[in-house]
Amino acid sequence: MTDTTAPLAPPPALTCPKCGTGLADAGLATCPECGVELGAGPPPPLPTPLSEDGAPPPIPAPGSGDRPDMPVLGGIPAGTPAATTAAPAPADLPVEKCPQCGGTIDTDGYCTQCGASRPDPRHHVEEAPTAWAAGVCDRGIHHAGNEDAMALWAEGEAAGRAALVVCDGVTTAQRSAEASEAAADAAVGVLRGARSTGVGVAAARDAALGARLDAAADAASGAVAEVTETLVAQGMSGDSLPSCTFVAAVVEESVVAVGTVGDSRAYWFPDEGEARLLTTDDSLAQERIKEGADRAEAEKAADAHTITRWIGVDAPDHTPDKTVLEVDAPGWLLLCTDGLWNYASSPDELGTQVRSALEAGGGIPLGGATELVRWATEQGGRDNITAVLARLGAGAPEPVAPQAHPAQQSPVEATEAAAAEPRPAEAATTETTTTETTTTTEEA
Amino acid sequence: MAQFSATVYQNEFLPEGGTDVHAIVSVTCSGAGSVSAAAPGQAGEVIVVDTSGSMQWQGVQAAQYAAAAALDQIPDGVWFAVVAGDHQARLAYPTGNAVTMAQMNPQARMSAKHALRNLYPDGGTAMGSWLLAAAQLFDTVPGLAKRHVILLTDGKNEHETPDQLTRAIETVRGRFQCDCRGLGSEWSVAEVRRISEALLGSVDLIRSWEAMPQEFAEMMQQSMARGVADAALRVWAPQGAEILFVRQVAPSLEDLTARRQEINPLTGSYPTGAWGDETRDYHVAVRLPAKSVGAEQLASRVQLVVGEDVVAQALVKAKWSNDTMLTAQISPEVAHYTGQTELATAIQEGLRARSIGDDATATAKLGRAAQLAKEGGNAEALEHLDKVVDIEDAATGTVRLKRNVDKLDEMALDTASTKTARVRK
Repeated sequence: MTDTTAPLAPPPALTCPKCGTGLADAGLATCPECGVELGAGPPPPLPTPLSEDGAPPPIPAPGSGDRPDMPVLGGIPAGTPAATTAAPAPADLPVEKCPQCGGTIDTDGYCTQCGASRPDPRHHVEEAPTAWAAGVCDRGIHHAGNEDAMALWAEGEAAGRAALVVCDGVTTAQRSAEASEAAADAAVGVLRGARSTGVGVAAARDAALGARLDAAADAASGAVAEVTETLVAQGMSGDSLPSCTFVAAVVEESVVAVGTVGDSRAYWFPDEGEARLLTTDDSLAQERIKEGADRAEAEKAADAHTITRWIGVDAPDHTPDKTVLEVDAPGWLLLCTDGLWNYASSPDELGTQVRSALEAGGGIPLGGATELVRWATEQGGRDNITAVLARLGAGAPEPVAPQAHPAQQSPVEATEAAAAEPRPAEAATTETTTTETTTTTEEA
Repeated sequence: MAQFSATVYQNEFLPEGGTDVHAIVSVTCSGAGSVSAAAPGQAGEVIVVDTSGSMQWQGVQAAQYAAAAALDQIPDGVWFAVVAGDHQARLAYPTGNAVTMAQMNPQARMSAKHALRNLYPDGGTAMGSWLLAAAQLFDTVPGLAKRHVILLTDGKNEHETPDQLTRAIETVRGRFQCDCRGLGSEWSVAEVRRISEALLGSVDLIRSWEAMPQEFAEMMQQSMARGVADAALRVWAPQGAEILFVRQVAPSLEDLTARRQEINPLTGSYPTGAWGDETRDYHVAVRLPAKSVGAEQLASRVQLVVGEDVVAQALVKAKWSNDTMLTAQISPEVAHYTGQTELATAIQEGLRARSIGDDATATAKLGRAAQLAKEGGNAEALEHLDKVVDIEDAATGTVRLKRNVDKLDEMALDTASTKTARVRK
C-alpha cells in the first residue's frame, strides 16, 4: 500500500522536445529558443529506433532487466470495498398499510412488499346517514374500476325523511365513473332541499313527489353534461359520451316515491306479504318481456343489459318512470344496480337473499347491504355492485347478534376465493353457521 | 444538475395463469455536465498502453501518439497516470520512483508526453497485473468519485493464466470503469470482453496503428463528458416473485443479472458506471405467482439511483385478463430487444462454430443473425455480417460462409455483436 500522503514526485527537469533547450518555466506555451509549441499536440518524435548501420536496436529479452526509469507496479493493494450505505431512513410520514399483506404502501401507490396497488376509495364505499338507511357500493371482481355510485341523505330517528340515489355508469361509455358519481350527488342535492308534499290529497302528493324526482333527474343530467363538457374541452370526446342509469327514492315517512331511468332497480320487501319490484327496466330485456318473452330467458340474452334510456347528453329523454308506494306495514326498501339483481332478479329470490343478508348482518341496514354485496361477489362479482337498504314502516331497526359466515374471510379474501371458484347461486344461501363473531368489512 | 427520466414500455396484461412480466425501461440523462465543469479533482484517468515486444517500434510509436492524443482530452485538474504494460505493469508517468498520480495542468501534460518517449517494446502481456496497477494508482488519490481506465492491448494474455486474470478482474471490480481496445488481429475478443464487461466498459477493435490517436481521443472525450460519476439501477420485485433477468439492451447489450448487489431481499442494485447525456434501455423480466383474472399488481419498481438518491423511477405492472385481444399483444419494444439479444448470441455462437470448422452450425447461426439484424434494422451488424458471409436473402436468413475472411472482419463482427439498434418508434 502506497503512502497516499507522500508528496508527488517533483517534475523532472524540462527540455524543449525540439531543440533540447532547457525550459525554466514549465508553463511556457512555446519554446523561447526555437518557438515550437509546448504542452499540446503530439509528442515529440521518437529518437530513431535505427542504429547507425540501419539495424534495429537490440530488444531486451522479456523480463531481462528492470527499467529504473519506470517503477514496476504490482501487488494486490488493500481493497477499498464500496461501502454499502444503509437505505435512507423512511420519511416521517403516516404509514399507509396494505390491505393485502399488511406491508407499507409507498408514495408511488403500491405496496412495498407485495406490489398490490393502493385501494381506490371508490372501490368500496359504505354510507350510513342514519340508523334506518344505509348502502354499500363495491367494485365487484371483474371490473377494474367502480362505475356505480350512490348518494344517501336521511333525517329523523325512524323512517323519517330520506333521499336515496343510485347510479350505474355505462361501462362502454367514457368517464362513466365520474358521470355516475356526479349524477348521484347532484340528484341528492336537489332532493334533500325539497319539502313540497302537495295539498293533502294523494294525487297532489304524488305529483309533488314526482316533480321532485323529475328535478333530481334534471340535476343528474346537468351534472353528467358538465363531465361531458370537460371531456370535450380536453378534446377527448369519442363516440360514447358519459352516461349512467338513475334510480332514486324519496321517503316522506310512510310514503315512498321511486323514479328510474335505465335498469337500476327498487324493490319493496314487507316483513309480511308479497315482495314487489317497484321499477321497470328501460332495457332490451324488458322490451322483450313486454312483448311476451319469459323474464328469465329475456334477462339471459347477450344484449339484455343494453339500456334503452339513460342519463347523458345524448339521451333522448331522461324523465324518470315513477311509482309511489304507501308503506302500511314494516318492511325493507332496496335500491340496487344490476350487479346485485343479476344474481336474483325476481322479488321472491332477491327477498330471500335480503332476509338472510339482514340476519347475517345483524339486522341493520349497513350490515344487510354489506352482506348482499358479499353474496353478489361470491356469485362471481361480474359487475359493480350497489345495495341500499332502508327500514320503513317501523321504528329504527334493532341490532341483533349477527349470524356468522361459514368462512370468516375478509372481503378481499372472499373476492379472491370467488374469483378463483365461482360458486352456484343456491350454494351460498344455505351456508350459514352460528359461530358468534362480527362481520369484517373493508375500510372504505 | 443532471436530470434523469425513466419510461416503461410493456404489455401489462397477462393471460389467466400467466406469470412472466417483461418490460423495457428507458432511462435518459440530460444536463450531466462534464467532468471539468463538475469536480475535475474527483476524476481520475489511467491510460494503459501495451508495450509488449509484439507491438514493435511502430506499434509503440503509434501508442505514444494515441496516449498523447488522450492526454490532450484530459481537462486540467483531473488526476491521471500512464502505465506501460507488458508482462509487468510499469508507471510511465508520473516519472520518478513514487507510485502516484498527477493532477493535470499544462506542465504535467507536457511532461507526460515527454515521458512517453521512454516507452519501448519489450516483454509479454499480463493484463491482470495492468488492472491491479491501475487500482493501485487510484488508491493513492483519496476522494476520487470517477475512475476510468483506457486499456490497449495487441495480443493475448500470455503471461497470466485465465484464473490469474479472473482474480485480478474480481479484485478491481467496482473500483474503476475500463474501456478496452485491441490493436490488430492477434488479441482475443472473448478475453478482453471479460475485462470490459466486468468493468462496465466497452471493447472494440482498432484495425491499424493510424487509427489509434483518434480512437483514444474519442474514448477520453466520452469519459470526460460523463459528468455523473456513478449510478446504479435498482430493481424491486414483490415478495414471492423472481427476477428472471436484468439486461442493458441499448446502446449495447450487457447482462446485468449476475451483478446484483442485494439492498434488501426484495431489491437488487446493478451498477451502471458513469453517465453522460444519453439514453440507456434496460430489459427487466420478473416472474410472479399467477393471480386471478381481474387482479392487478405492481411487478417491479425500476429506479436509477445516484449515491442514495432515487433520481428516476418506472413502474412495471401486471394485470390478469381473459381478453386475448389484450394479453396476446407483445410490446414492440420488448420484441425488438429480445431479437437484438438473440442476434448477439447468434453472431457469437456462429463465429465460434466457424472457428472450429462446424460449418453447418455456423451457417445456421449466422443466417439467423442476418435475419434478426434485418428485422431489427441493425445496419451495422448486417454490414459486418456481409464481410463474413454471403447474404443471399436476409429476410429468410439464407447465407453462405465466405471462403476467405479477413480475421479483422471476423473480429469486427464479434465486437459489434453486442451493439444494438434502437427500437424504431
